[in-house]
Amino acid sequence: MDFTAILGAWIAVGLTLFILSFLYRDNPLFKIAENLYIGIAIGYIFSITIYNVWIPKIYQPVSNRVFTSLSNWVPWVSKFVTPAGDAGSLTPLFPAIIGISLLTRIFPKISWISRYGFAFIVGYGAGLAIPATVATMFIAQIEGTIQPVFKLASGGAIDLSGPALWTSFSAILLCLGVIVTLFYFFFSLEHGKISKKVTKIGIYFLMVYFGAAFGTTVMGRFALLYGRFFDLYTYRTSGYYHATPILILLVLIFFFVYFGKSRKTSP
Amino acid sequence: MMLIKRYIPLAIVFVFGIMTLATYYIPPKLAQDYYLETMNKWINIVAAFAFLLALLSLFYSHYNKIKRKVDGWGYSIFVYIGFLVVVVCAIKSEGQLMTGPALTSLGWIFRFLYNTLSASMFAVLAYYIVSTAFRSFRIKTLQAFVLFMAALFFIIGKVPLGNVLWNKLFFWTNVSISQVTDWIINVPSVAAKRGIMIGIAVGAIVTSLKIIFGIERQYMGKD
Repeated sequence: MDFTAILGAWIAVGLTLFILSFLYRDNPLFKIAENLYIGIAIGYIFSITIYNVWIPKIYQPVSNRVFTSLSNWVPWVSKFVTPAGDAGSLTPLFPAIIGISLLTRIFPKISWISRYGFAFIVGYGAGLAIPATVATMFIAQIEGTIQPVFKLASGGAIDLSGPALWTSFSAILLCLGVIVTLFYFFFSLEHGKISKKVTKIGIYFLMVYFGAAFGTTVMGRFALLYGRFFDLYTYRTSGYYHATPILILLVLIFFFVYFGKSRKTSP
Repeated sequence: MMLIKRYIPLAIVFVFGIMTLATYYIPPKLAQDYYLETMNKWINIVAAFAFLLALLSLFYSHYNKIKRKVDGWGYSIFVYIGFLVVVVCAIKSEGQLMTGPALTSLGWIFRFLYNTLSASMFAVLAYYIVSTAFRSFRIKTLQAFVLFMAALFFIIGKVPLGNVLWNKLFFWTNVSISQVTDWIINVPSVAAKRGIMIGIAVGAIVTSLKIIFGIERQYMGKD
């Protein structure tokens, strides 16, 4: 077995146990893992930003442009520096300046400059959101709701078979469901006797949705938990020098020592 | 000063908002491709700096904790350790996770540290979601019962044991649990989801218009 894989297994088991130890009680091992997670996550996003944005979208085009211009004016520069790729461009400097304006937020006296950056983000985002929302969350949803109620069988007659009728029932229920749900969120008029009944039906549809959403979340989280248990199970073997049982034992010893101590010191 | 501090940012919002909105409704390919493509690049660059702002803010907050030696300040050091380790590995492996079939040092960190921590952190929530639901959820009304049944059908429909139990108890219905689950998700659940989505869409459109026309100015902060 490769040393890096064994080391990785030990670290993975250790960190999994540190995080899962929170199920017993908040403790230093969990806090270490929690803070390490923040550092690693932010470091990973930072690395992605460097290699996907700063280098290819700012540094390369700008430096290429600068070196190309310099070589034209001062020919001996090209002997020392060869720009990689095309002639480059200085236009990325404009969004870079807008981006740098965001950093002025740190200094209260000039923090108003950051408004320029936020104005660009918010303006572009708002302009982009309107057509995207209309297309995907409004028209597409209405289009999906209004479906043909009956299917046509071969020969042009209406299909009255069991599955076809069930599909028709589902299509009608779906349409009614959307209407009553929307009715529940309609606050422009005071709800009367009949409309109150309609909104009540809307609540039932909402409850089904919340139940399904809860089920999805639970299953998603459990899938992750199975993954962690699977890793713990895999790394228990002699190939990984029994990482799981040894680390479980060490964590338990730490717990006995740490919580035993805090019990003695607490009044 | 009012012009620089207030009116120019509002004008920027208006101009970029209207221009972006307009490109969707102008057929020429040039406007679509050139403007939106350029703007997407620009927004990526600006977002990278926005991330840098968040990073600096996080570091400043943890630096203050360490400097003031507040309770649990020692744990803040691990934020810096984690960050530095990843960045050094990223520089060493030039941002690549794999070289051929082998993991780079960044890939190794991603596989054994980032993935492990991220999955474990969310896996812990599995326990808390279920225990909180068990403690706080009581089926006192028909609506609560409907919610419970939808969740139950969904959960038992996704596990093999649920399939076995359903086939033993409800074999006479000639309907499988996965069919029931699919129907719940595709019909009543989608109906409510669409109602919510249409409501959100209307809200998002109105808010976007309010931002573009300078009625909504929360993003500007205080003077």
